[in-house]
Amino acid sequence: MTSRTEVPESGIGAPVNRVEARDKVTGSARYTADVRLRDMAHATVVTSTISAGRVRRIDTTRALAAPGVLTVITHRDRMPWRSTPADTGYLENRFPLADDKITYYGQHLAIVVAKNLEQSLHAASLVDIDYEVDASVPTLDEAMPDAYTANGRLIRPPWPQHLVLPPGADPQAALAGADVRTDSTYRVPHFSHVPLEPGAVVAEWSGGTLTLHDCSQDVHGHREVVAAVFGLPPERVRVLSPLVGGAFGNKTDVWGHSLLAAHAARVVRRPVKLVLSRKQVFTSTGHQPPIVQRIRLGAGREGRLAVILHDTVNATEMRGDRPEPAIISTASSYAAPVLAVDAKIAKVNIGPSISLRSPGDAPGSFALESAMDELSYRLGMDPLELRRRNHLNTDPLTGKPWSAKHLLQACELGAERFGWARRTAEPRSMREGGELVGYGMATAVRGEIPDRARAEVEIRADGTAQVRTATQEIGTGALTLVAQITAAGTGVPLGRVSVRAGDTNLPRTAGNAGSRTTGYTGSAVHLAAEKARRAAVRMAVTDPDSPLYGLADGEVEAADGRLFHRDDTKRGETYRALLARHDGKPVVAEASYTPRTSHAVATFGAHFTEVRIDPDLPRVRVTRHVAVFDVGRITNHKAARNQAQGGIVFGMGWALMEKLTPDPVSGRYVDAALTDYHIPVNADVPDIEVLFIDEPDTIAHPHGSKGMGEVVSVGVAASIANAVHHATGRRITDLPITPDKLVG
Amino acid sequence: MPDEVSPHPSRRTVVAGGLTVGVAVAAGTYLSAAGAETASAADATRSLSLIVNGERLKLAVDPRSSLLDTLRDEVGVTGPKKGCNQGACGACTVLLDGRRVLSCLTFAVLHDGQEVTTVEGLADGDRLHPVQQAFMDHDAFQCGFCTSGQIMSAVALLEEQPGITEDRIPEAMSGNLCRCAAYCNIRDAIASASDTMAKGR
Repeated sequence: MTSRTEVPESGIGAPVNRVEARDKVTGSARYTADVRLRDMAHATVVTSTISAGRVRRIDTTRALAAPGVLTVITHRDRMPWRSTPADTGYLENRFPLADDKITYYGQHLAIVVAKNLEQSLHAASLVDIDYEVDASVPTLDEAMPDAYTANGRLIRPPWPQHLVLPPGADPQAALAGADVRTDSTYRVPHFSHVPLEPGAVVAEWSGGTLTLHDCSQDVHGHREVVAAVFGLPPERVRVLSPLVGGAFGNKTDVWGHSLLAAHAARVVRRPVKLVLSRKQVFTSTGHQPPIVQRIRLGAGREGRLAVILHDTVNATEMRGDRPEPAIISTASSYAAPVLAVDAKIAKVNIGPSISLRSPGDAPGSFALESAMDELSYRLGMDPLELRRRNHLNTDPLTGKPWSAKHLLQACELGAERFGWARRTAEPRSMREGGELVGYGMATAVRGEIPDRARAEVEIRADGTAQVRTATQEIGTGALTLVAQITAAGTGVPLGRVSVRAGDTNLPRTAGNAGSRTTGYTGSAVHLAAEKARRAAVRMAVTDPDSPLYGLADGEVEAADGRLFHRDDTKRGETYRALLARHDGKPVVAEASYTPRTSHAVATFGAHFTEVRIDPDLPRVRVTRHVAVFDVGRITNHKAARNQAQGGIVFGMGWALMEKLTPDPVSGRYVDAALTDYHIPVNADVPDIEVLFIDEPDTIAHPHGSKGMGEVVSVGVAASIANAVHHATGRRITDLPITPDKLVG
Repeated sequence: MPDEVSPHPSRRTVVAGGLTVGVAVAAGTYLSAAGAETASAADATRSLSLIVNGERLKLAVDPRSSLLDTLRDEVGVTGPKKGCNQGACGACTVLLDGRRVLSCLTFAVLHDGQEVTTVEGLADGDRLHPVQQAFMDHDAFQCGFCTSGQIMSAVALLEEQPGITEDRIPEAMSGNLCRCAAYCNIRDAIASASDTMAKGR
């Protein structure tokens, strides 16, 4: 098989512009913070400046007296929360302002509402707080001795935190018996999502019904939680998520500020807008926790793995147990006859963590793919060859074959495009212009997390179509995806397809998280569009006035807004003509999608990186990156390439610069600002070549496409770290790879 | 404003409660943290005239309001975005008398009578500015939140350095963060717009 390098000009795969592109370049694209309502007040949250202790006294006198202030709400006020966090599905194990206890820096202590933004900011600065300060456990290192297996309320779907395969095997014995062994410990720090759009919410009550404009990756999920917290039936809450200015996981769940804004709006009887400050984003909407991972590999001299042991400990908040699933794909990565994985957590005084792009897999792959590189050097074997020899065709985790897996082809193609054969194995053996040159590679796997999806497609008498589903546009191209699939399924031209999304009044579908949109929502749209077209065909072939009358349904095709005879394309009529004869009523079809479970479904990738490093000032520059992804059929080559490049740059950030640092005494992040938490800028980014295998995987999903937002970030950090090792001979096992770690 | 204070105080230091410049400004225009005696000042608005995207506007604004907040909350021009409010992300970039500025870092009241161009003011009717068109065609964004600022920076860059060579673009555009990281497409779009504009000259 070869990769398709040709890109279709129309239909599925065509590199069309995004449906909302014009809005985004003209400033008319609407985000949550752009929502302006009549009489809208502005809120500011006051956050704790200690990480452990309690509020001894909170004095709101001066704030309340400040101009324009409408209310100041603290834990001393009666909060309206019903039930318990666990019963409502609320992420944190404590509702906001529920008590006087403080377990992390940046915890919300008050909400101030005023007529304008400046007044609310000023009044927030006038809230006087007297703390009782307790000793803080700010770092994972400090907490590590007390690491334990999570036993509280788990905040994400279950995955095995401890697993030995095959059951009853003796991994230690397998390791002891192996010809060649590696044993390394890898560390990743706190990473932040840093969407450019800070968390924002506009809340409005009307006759006991709450309308919440919220930047959300899952409006229906948010509604369920918000309704439960306020003790309302879900239909009394409407959540609208206009365009979302980036999310990467930190808008999957309802956060405290949204609940506080909704409560405040009811108190002041006006719509309330609350936008988090950038600093607050770092502490109010989650992060990826620091993780320490130990990987031990055992292999035979011929390069076949005998055993993988992967043990992790990640920091978790004081009030909740959230293991980071860094081991989740270890079993599905390589053919090791014995495997043992174990995930533990350790409590620190840091706010709640949450899924960050490729949760588990991104940090897990940094460790495993670095370890594989180390093993390749122990064996004296090309790292790519080592991966070939340990390729898997069946997922050991589920025992099922993958619906499709073209990882070996991805590796071959990437190696060829990158020029991997030019690599000389010895570290520090490649130089150019005084600089050390390093080549590194890594592979990627990301298992799909099934979900249900629903969508509605309408073909109208005016020749247009509309697709309706409560998906959100977070930047991945979701709106364009559903429009393209609708166009392909109905035969209505793309330019005449409109999209409604981001609203709980629309059919509930998978949240835009976990790479679910293309596979799941895309399938529901595909099925709804097919169903609508088939209904229209049925109308035509049973209508004596139609030129298609009497044909079998299967003989009729649709394109350009027209139904026609498969073998005689001139015989046919437009949707417009057909529906005009049927009272001008639209054809509406709704479809639900639940994936089948006969196969394991995953996406795969191969990364190849070139770095150049000045030996005297060892700043790592990524100068070339080639990646090949196996994600089923590509729906839009332009958007897919963009998303893949973006995911790779995300991985570059983790590898080379990103890090949130808790102060070891106070537990305060010392770098909670874009001036200090560095993300890649334009000049950091090299040429990134992205290729797709582009083979439909119709076993996974009926339209053959799978989500790719996460797999594109998996393996990047290891590929860079492996290139750094090749260039310098230094194996950096703690991210980010900053120059200080390479000096000397 | 007392003379000893910078004529362009940072908005942040003032809104944050005046610990840094509070003493200097307590007597005058801006708010200090001292509470009651400045309460009336805090509630007061200042009249301001701005030309926004060609339209002359008379506004009454809170003197602490940044140019960005004034555009967004008072004028209703929401193309410029607040990504960090400290001049680190570039999402709020607008043209002020033709020069690019970070609108989050300057007070609106300092710019009486000046001309502001935001992304909303670039197109000529339905005809997009070449940079806007190129951003569309090159898919130079994903979520779009940084896009207004990217486009305004790019427009100013191509005014300042017409025909800029392609390899200079990444450095020149590094003041505008894009977390979705559409950077490759952003520079392709700018290079392409530069060509289009050169042909038009």
